[in-house]
Amino acid sequence: MKRRTPPAAATGRSPLWGPMFRRHRRPLVLGYLLATTHQVCEALVPVAAGYVIGIAVATSSVPAILLGVGAILLLFAVLASAAAYGYYLIGKAAVTEAHLQRVAVLRRILGDPTVGRDRQAGELLSITSSDTQGATQLMETVGGLLASTVGLTVAAVVLLRIDLVLGLGVLVMLAVLVGGVRLLSPYLERRLSARQQAVGLSAAVASDLLTGLRSLRGFGGVAEAVRRYRTASRLSLDATVRATSSNAVVGATSRLATGALVVLTAAVAAGYAVEGRISLAELVTVIGMATFLLDPIGHITRSVQELAVSWASGRRVAELLTPSASQAAVDDQRPDGPLQLTAVVDDGLGPLSLTLAPGELLGVVTTDVATADTLSELLAGSRAPTAGTVCLGDVAVAELPPAAVRSRLLVEPHAVHLLGGSLAAALDTGGGAERQVELPAALDAAALRVEDLTGHADATGPGPALADIALLDHGANLSGGQRQRVALARALLADRDVLVLRDPTSAVDAVTEDAIAAGLRRVRAGRRSTAVLTTSPLLLSRCDRVLFVDADGSSTTGSHADLLAVDAYRSVVLR
Amino acid sequence: MSARGQDAGAGSTRDHQLPVASGRDTAAAVGRAALALPRLVVSSTVAAVVGSIATIATPVLLGRIVDVVLAAVDRRTDVWAALTPLLVAVAAAVVVGAVLTSLALREAERLGASIAADLRERVVDRSLRMAPQTLERAGVGDVSTRVTEDVEVFTRSVPTISAVINSLITVGVSVVAFAALDWRLALAFFTVVPVYVLSLRSYLPRAAVLYAEERSRASTRSRVLLESVHGSRTVHAYGMGELQTDRVQGASEAGLAAALRARRAFAGFAWTMNAAEAVGLSALVACGFLLVRADLVTVGDVTAAALLFHRLFGPLGLLLTSFDDVQRAAAALARIVGVARMDPPTSRVRPPRLSTATVRLTGIRHAYDDGHEVLHGIDLVVPAGTSLAVVGESGAGKTTLAAIAAGVFPPSAGTVELVDGDDPGTVLDLADLDQVDLRSLVGLVSQESHVFAGTLRADLQLAKPDATDDELEAALDGTGAATWARALPDGLDTVVGAGGYPLTPAQEQHLALTRLYLRDPPVVVLDEATAEASSAGARDLERVAEELLAGRTAVVVAHRLTQARACDRILVMADGRPVELGHHDELVAAEGMYARLWRTWTASGRDATA
Repeated sequence: MKRRTPPAAATGRSPLWGPMFRRHRRPLVLGYLLATTHQVCEALVPVAAGYVIGIAVATSSVPAILLGVGAILLLFAVLASAAAYGYYLIGKAAVTEAHLQRVAVLRRILGDPTVGRDRQAGELLSITSSDTQGATQLMETVGGLLASTVGLTVAAVVLLRIDLVLGLGVLVMLAVLVGGVRLLSPYLERRLSARQQAVGLSAAVASDLLTGLRSLRGFGGVAEAVRRYRTASRLSLDATVRATSSNAVVGATSRLATGALVVLTAAVAAGYAVEGRISLAELVTVIGMATFLLDPIGHITRSVQELAVSWASGRRVAELLTPSASQAAVDDQRPDGPLQLTAVVDDGLGPLSLTLAPGELLGVVTTDVATADTLSELLAGSRAPTAGTVCLGDVAVAELPPAAVRSRLLVEPHAVHLLGGSLAAALDTGGGAERQVELPAALDAAALRVEDLTGHADATGPGPALADIALLDHGANLSGGQRQRVALARALLADRDVLVLRDPTSAVDAVTEDAIAAGLRRVRAGRRSTAVLTTSPLLLSRCDRVLFVDADGSSTTGSHADLLAVDAYRSVVLR
Repeated sequence: MSARGQDAGAGSTRDHQLPVASGRDTAAAVGRAALALPRLVVSSTVAAVVGSIATIATPVLLGRIVDVVLAAVDRRTDVWAALTPLLVAVAAAVVVGAVLTSLALREAERLGASIAADLRERVVDRSLRMAPQTLERAGVGDVSTRVTEDVEVFTRSVPTISAVINSLITVGVSVVAFAALDWRLALAFFTVVPVYVLSLRSYLPRAAVLYAEERSRASTRSRVLLESVHGSRTVHAYGMGELQTDRVQGASEAGLAAALRARRAFAGFAWTMNAAEAVGLSALVACGFLLVRADLVTVGDVTAAALLFHRLFGPLGLLLTSFDDVQRAAAALARIVGVARMDPPTSRVRPPRLSTATVRLTGIRHAYDDGHEVLHGIDLVVPAGTSLAVVGESGAGKTTLAAIAAGVFPPSAGTVELVDGDDPGTVLDLADLDQVDLRSLVGLVSQESHVFAGTLRADLQLAKPDATDDELEAALDGTGAATWARALPDGLDTVVGAGGYPLTPAQEQHLALTRLYLRDPPVVVLDEATAEASSAGARDLERVAEELLAGRTAVVVAHRLTQARACDRILVMADGRPVELGHHDELVAAEGMYARLWRTWTASGRDATA
């Protein structure tokens, strides 16, 4: 499939709707035309039946019945083909557009850190999955609206042509009934949404309990959990039961309205037929038509509600697709030189000046955990210092285009997120023409043995290919220590000039930790710069230099062995 | 899965799925649940039948009106004398039909919702209390699908199913009505049957495959979307936005292609449904024509038949298009009933209240389903009130041993017993206890913790439902969690867990330890309960763990050797076998494997032994 990204117009009133319809212009025009044809044919079914009965059956004319049955078959052939192909075309345009928007929104979220920053992950997910669907639903809604309106018009014209008074009467009654039923619908909607919520509540409780099942069974909370679920389930049952009553009231009202329309129409039309004012065929048509009319009317009212939903969804999608002004200036500048901090001051961080020399392995120890957070954010360029500068070479990190920074500097987040459905995919971060680290070396340095991951340590012969090792739910089938080591191998494999690691060994045992410390030196020292924020003496003892930031923000630099003489340092790294 | 910890991994497969009920068992279970609500069963059935009869009577009466009009046009008799009762009858049929059909739908939906509630409560109960070996074999994933997805599919399909049942009754009554008009008209109506049968027979098997494919692609797409959004910081850190977007695009394109294939198949199916309507209507009119000519039926009868048939478009369409939904609901139901029918395990013995207990493991061997043996024979006694640390390299079998000692699953061979600390004659085999009884004796905190959605109070009360606020505060003080818990925005009323106030991994573990403290079992097993936190946090948690262990029998799997050193004895494991056992000082002096580990551990913090 060709990659067609919706270009989000920088200006213009409708960044979403216009391009959305233009992109699928041809299938939509044809689809709408066919859908309209279908609705008109539906309106003609009672007419056809009425005329065939009134003219052919009542008169027993053979040519008339042949013609009539032929007309019915022809009518349905057009109806069926128009419906099948028309709605398929419209639906195809809608799901294709939803796909395009989904990918476009995600491209923005993943490409620009500023895009989703003020939104929760849940909200972003709902925009990418439900709102793109809601917005593109508009294409189907518009089609339905168009087709039903034309269908309704045709039916109205048929009625008015049969008898002006009768036709007008039916249409007025219809308007009154539909309006009356509509009055009830807010009441119904409230109940329905209460039910949805209640059903959702019991589902959420179940899902939460099952996610924490091992934990729950571990501390013995099962009996209480079962009781709580029962409570939630009964609440949701009560809401459902209440909603069924409102549903029934609305259902009965609309059925009564339809029935009243039919009875009244039948009475008046029968009278007219007796008087000879309308023919028998017209009588049957009018009675059939009275029941049919409610379909397009119901469709139109539903469509109007759907328009509002699509509109709101579309606004949320468009907000994410509209490019921010800051992204305008992107050049291909590639910063050279080491990472330099000059007189940096920030929360819990006194004036700090430091150059991370090429090929150096630097340990960073902070008394306060929050200071470590601050430091990682400063180094990642996602935070501007209160005073001083963080530079790559001569240029401040904050002023460099993000892509340029990331091609040289990697700050591996401590919270491990493995991406992709296999180990090979999780390790692949793309690009890296200057990568000099081979896969086996990276795995080895991260103390990651593929055999351990597959649980066949004693298997002989070549191990399974990385691509065959499945990662379920972002690595839920790995232990915490394994996930941490996969993330480390990924960072080493990316082989950036500057790498910042945060507590990379907090979930592994001492022996493995020691192996990782050695591996880190082997892969990076003397070649690339690495800063490790950690309190592990095993790691720190292998560092060229250690930067220690005390609680008051003051900092000291020295070797791990030297710093052990400092009480504050010792108490932080002491086991 | 991670009770298997590092011992097992990504490649393992499971073929021990939970049971799926047969069609007969499913029907029986639903039948039993329905019979518990006899009033709803009777009222929904009666209302549906009477409602359908009234609804179907309307077109039949309208047909009579046509006949009266025809007669009137011919003979100019007093038409209103004949028309008025007919119109009154139509009005009555309309009212009865409207009220009873709506009532029938309501009663059927209530019945369905009650059955669904009953079944989902049973399936949650059975899932949470499932026998350990069943749970381990099936995996949390399968259980979770039953309790969440299957229950949701079934619950949401209840209105559809009620509508389908109602439509079936309407169609049934209509057939009787056709036959009442004239049996030959009923035959004409039946011409739709072969068209529907052929159409369904070609569509359903294809649809099953296509929809399954669509659902599976859609779930892959959701997974990729989810990991991309949650991992967006990682994506930004690596500047791999394009690569990850390509992955999403690939998954989304696959989903799109599958969705379009399913839509194409449905379009074809919808066409054949219209074709059936055309065949039916033509047959009715043609048959009516011949019958009227032969003077066997009236024009009114044919009108009634045509109107009746036009009205069946809706119910027939619903029946055919919801076939797939109903099939899916039935499949979900079979999976739900499969679990709901399982017997909840109950203790084979009446467990005494033990205040202290010795843990005795005898001849423990354990192999996972793939035959890969990870424990090769372990005999071990942890005397009442003492603690035992288990150390060793990754893959030594520590986690498996801890899980077996805690009764998470039974060993392949050997026994785990509790001996009453006050009366050595009282011996309990863990295998004889159900979940509830077991956990009042042995508590477990593992590496993966979970904060349950709701208030902090509700989370803690899961461990002790009747705990007062004072008791909760005392427990928080006891484990030192009070320092941060008091600082939460609303104290005990703070909503935590999914969608609530975010806790750090260290706080989550702290909470897990506090729950165990509240629960107060005589035996505790901690499996790397302090590992997820950063080093500084781990030290705090270690202190908390020491508080928790005081006076209890404990098995502690420790990464951090300082935690091991604090225990009364240390078991060193390698390759699924015990290697060394003794106190820290003895083991260091013995110059064996532990001494080597300890040296590595302290290599860089030379004051650590001081």
